[in-house]
Amino acid sequence: MLWKRQIPILIVAVIGSITLFGWFINEPSIKVFVEDDATQWYNILASFAAILGALNLIKIQVQKVLYQKPGWGYSSIAVFGFVFSIIAGFFIKGVDVEWGAHVSSEGTLFKWMFDYIFSPMSATMFSLLAFFVASASYRAFRIRNFEATLLLVSGIIIMIGRVPVGGVISSWFVMYLIVLCAGIYVNSWKKDLKITFVFVLVGISLVTIGGVLMGWPIDQPGVFYLPSIQEWIYYYPNVAGARAIMIGIGLGIFATSIRYILGIERSYIGE
Amino acid sequence: MSKLEDILLKIGSVDRRWIFIIIAIVVIIPLLVPIGMPIRATDTSKAVYDAIEDLPKGSKFLLSLEYSPSTKPENHPMAISILRHLFRNDHKVYITCLWPDGQFMAQDALSQVAEGEFNKVYGEDYVLLGYRPGAEAVVKGIVSNIRKLYSVDSKQTKIDEIPMMDGITKFKDFAFLFSVSSGYPGTIEWVQYAADPTGVPMSSGVTSIQVNEVMPYVQSGQMVGLLAGMPGAAEYESLVGEKGSATSGMDAQSIAHLVIVLFIVLGNAAYFIERKRSRKY
Repeated sequence: MLWKRQIPILIVAVIGSITLFGWFINEPSIKVFVEDDATQWYNILASFAAILGALNLIKIQVQKVLYQKPGWGYSSIAVFGFVFSIIAGFFIKGVDVEWGAHVSSEGTLFKWMFDYIFSPMSATMFSLLAFFVASASYRAFRIRNFEATLLLVSGIIIMIGRVPVGGVISSWFVMYLIVLCAGIYVNSWKKDLKITFVFVLVGISLVTIGGVLMGWPIDQPGVFYLPSIQEWIYYYPNVAGARAIMIGIGLGIFATSIRYILGIERSYIGE
Repeated sequence: MSKLEDILLKIGSVDRRWIFIIIAIVVIIPLLVPIGMPIRATDTSKAVYDAIEDLPKGSKFLLSLEYSPSTKPENHPMAISILRHLFRNDHKVYITCLWPDGQFMAQDALSQVAEGEFNKVYGEDYVLLGYRPGAEAVVKGIVSNIRKLYSVDSKQTKIDEIPMMDGITKFKDFAFLFSVSSGYPGTIEWVQYAADPTGVPMSSGVTSIQVNEVMPYVQSGQMVGLLAGMPGAAEYESLVGEKGSATSGMDAQSIAHLVIVLFIVLGNAAYFIERKRSRKY
């Protein structure tokens, strides 16, 4: 119990405290530990963790194949891929280059595997996202309430404003669209065609007069030009939200770290 | 009117396989027959270009590639354009990778640009240090002592035997850092553990989905500009003056985005009609 519980907790508490206080104490030996030694320890541990992760992966997949659990066919492909990678990485280079350099050298079995198996499959998986995004946005983006409308409108502005086609859509066209959308709203609110007609007519006339006076510049007034609105959304509402999330995450990390150092959080030893 | 409503309702309940086919068509056609839409560089992309342009000739430039083939269409054109810009200005380029796949991407970009276009000499003009596991610990290692972390480069050549590694011991020896990133570990780790504590200027090129989380660092001045997704890559291609795959991809992305917006509008029209009818009965 001492080795499985108290000692690991003690190691975490001591190393965690030294690393934390290393930022506040001007002691060269602690600074060297925090900035240099601890980093190297981490690198060594990360290398071992990679091996451990690979072994764990193969263990789970082999078990699935042996006991013919659901989806065992896919697991057999994973096992084959794993064994093939090991052979390509550790036993067959293909061309005469240094071990280690063979991983990314032209003509080697490992490079062939990366170029002709891993790359196309990886790209294919990610490309499928475009189809799912299109289908999901078609079904899920609905104007149900104010928040959903806000999300939908800003989503459309970002989607169009970020790409070149957004740059060729005149701000005057956007203004006409706004007048027409506002007309729909007025119609559903007042339920009177005359009022709606007058509203739309006045709106269109005002936009047209403004356009004639200003000479129809494509990006003026900037507040209706999609790339400008898109940039504003990125810079202000988005940054405000992102900062709030980051500060929240930072505080969460700090609280969790303190819990680890004080030995309150013990999930890493299975408790 | 009711006929139009019926058609919209039908469109609203269309099988998603039709959507897949339409998306495939609108992506493939502009790729095969480019429209050549004008590309307008945003301020963030211009800031990256100006920052690199302002570096004195022969500056030591750290380029870190952390992306995989899955985001290659977005990230790779950035890496290629940045390399073109750097080699055109005769900078010394040092490449590291926080992702294992990044090393392959770097190799590909270097063989195209450094060897194919500029005839640069390995070890004198550029060096590929390669991948090391450890995420932010690697960044911290580069900050404190790069030689302890990289005793050999990706070709297994000893660091001491590489001429351009003379005088390079830590992160502060570099004039600028550019990270081409598509996730963790990447841009944010470089800002937090390297650029911000040391004061070395940095910039980044990220996937569109990452822009939200990286933008606060740009606005706060911790990063100089940003290449945001494929549009950012296309903008940089136009700034460098060499059009590439990102520029041709922008036509496809433009049309695809327009079609998705059209889907959303039609879907909402069907939703409103459905709601109106359900209220009626």
